[in-house]
Amino acid sequence: MKGKTTMTHRVLLCDDEIPILRAAEFKIKKAGYDVRIASDGEEAWQLIQQEKPDILVTDCQMPRLDGLGLVRRLREHDDTRDLPVFMLTAKGFELDAEELASQWGVLGLIAKPFSPRKLLETIQAALDSQTVPT
Amino acid sequence: MSNAKSNHLMPALAVTLSAAWLVAWAAGLVLDQGVWWIRIATLSVGLVLCATAMVLWRRRLQQSHDAVRRYLEALGRVNPTDFQEGTIDSAVPPLDANHPLSEAAARARQSLAELCEKLQELEHSRDALDIRYRRAASEHERIKSILSSLDDPIMVVDQFDEIVLANPSAESLLDIDTKGAGSRALKQLVRCENLVDLLTTTTHRKAVESRTDEIEVPTADGATGWYRVTAKKLVSLSEESDETTDNGAVAVLRDIAEKKDLQRRNAEFVSAVSHEMKTPLAGIKAYVELLADDEAEDPETREEFLEVIDSQATRLSRLVENLLNLARMEAGVVKVDKHARPLNEILEEALGVVRPSAEAKQITLVGDLSKLYLGVLADRDMLLQAAINLLSNAIKYTPDKGQVTLRSRMVDANVQFEVEDTGVGLSEEDAQRVFEKFYRVKKDQSMASGTGLGLPLAKHIVEDVHGGTLSVTSELGKGSTFSVTLPGAKQLS
Repeated sequence: MKGKTTMTHRVLLCDDEIPILRAAEFKIKKAGYDVRIASDGEEAWQLIQQEKPDILVTDCQMPRLDGLGLVRRLREHDDTRDLPVFMLTAKGFELDAEELASQWGVLGLIAKPFSPRKLLETIQAALDSQTVPT
Repeated sequence: MSNAKSNHLMPALAVTLSAAWLVAWAAGLVLDQGVWWIRIATLSVGLVLCATAMVLWRRRLQQSHDAVRRYLEALGRVNPTDFQEGTIDSAVPPLDANHPLSEAAARARQSLAELCEKLQELEHSRDALDIRYRRAASEHERIKSILSSLDDPIMVVDQFDEIVLANPSAESLLDIDTKGAGSRALKQLVRCENLVDLLTTTTHRKAVESRTDEIEVPTADGATGWYRVTAKKLVSLSEESDETTDNGAVAVLRDIAEKKDLQRRNAEFVSAVSHEMKTPLAGIKAYVELLADDEAEDPETREEFLEVIDSQATRLSRLVENLLNLARMEAGVVKVDKHARPLNEILEEALGVVRPSAEAKQITLVGDLSKLYLGVLADRDMLLQAAINLLSNAIKYTPDKGQVTLRSRMVDANVQFEVEDTGVGLSEEDAQRVFEKFYRVKKDQSMASGTGLGLPLAKHIVEDVHGGTLSVTSELGKGSTFSVTLPGAKQLS
């Protein structure tokens, strides 16, 4: 556990499947992160405007504003352009991780069903790589 | 010496002798000038003899010329087209053997006979070629007619990559004109690069096997269509040797829009099934892992996790059951038990099934059923399922405290029931797609859980099993009405 850095990091989780959202929230919050949740892209965008997270994990298929729409909007704004994003998907083959990375700077595509443990490790690794050692 | 020559020498000999006598007489006159009258008489006799010889010689010469003239005229009258072997002997009798030109005339007649024979051979060859040409032209027209009647576009290019034939289907599809005076270059006329490449490489490669490729072809109306193109190299056998020479290629295009559409639908179906199954699975896996990692520190949390796992498993099971029901019905393996039944009975039962879920949302559920007997030839369980699905759908997408109305009535010889709600309504596009498997209106997904199979199942039951119709009218934000029309059955006694 990397307690020193995790307490300062804010993680935003976004998924319209509430049980999945709650499971991920439970795991990541317990690791000491400040976790916020949103049930669709629009709600996530509102939260980001209020308090910018250090990392976003969002589902792809959601009502109102889907995951890709949210990422596009993030990249259009200067203050959110560099926000690290992971995407969750239950889709089979429509999404291309390489294309998402090259075009939209998505760090990774996580397939459902996923392991909350591995999701936490992925988030930790991403945040650690961005933390400048003192 | 031959007789012919001796005949012509006789007059000449007489003239020569006469001349000799005259010379002799003239000489005597010089030597002896005394007997002059004798010499004059002798001279006269010589002159008469000479004149007679001249006349005879001229007559013989004239006869010879006449024979040659008649011979030449006979030769001129010979008709090469009527010529048959041996006929020239009767048409042109030979000159007299004593005639000085008889040998030359015989050679001329032989040459003419040979020329006639050759001319006749040429005539026969020309006739044969004419017949072959007519047959080839007829065959060409027949092939053109066959190609024109085919719906599949067909195109032929030569070894110089120019279009030499395109049937009307190909001209229409590719928007090309191969009959005009303009360029026929494949690359200039056809906009589809993949098709051009396939034909060009097929023409110029060594292998003669046909090649097949699925190509998206830009069509004349600006859209695109998928075609399976089979290209075959055309070769012709050399007349001089057994070697073959490149002669272009033929391409046959088969419209595979339906196949592509089926592939797309299958892919969408598999993707949708995958998505719908993975979602509850993701919940189950996540909470099982949390429990396994002993993350739930108190009994309440553990109980909460187990409840989520149970509800996600139930959701997964319901999805599988719905999928199987739909598959069974579509495959026709479900036994259909249709009898004449009162429609209102089935509808009242459906209202009873969905009433608790309506009450949970404080939705007013109105049953406005006809007082008339509405007989319908139906499988009770299936039609009940369809009515429940329509009512459940209406309740799901109607906000709290709204209203859902179930009506029934008789329309001519048919019976009709409709489910009207004051819900969120559908856009025009959503209304067209709402009966597709797994299609769920994105903006409304958060309102209720669903598999996207309820409405397709209802449509299948109404239309395929009962021969009725199921349609929807809707206004976004105001509500929807799903209408079912079924053939009426005679009233039960």
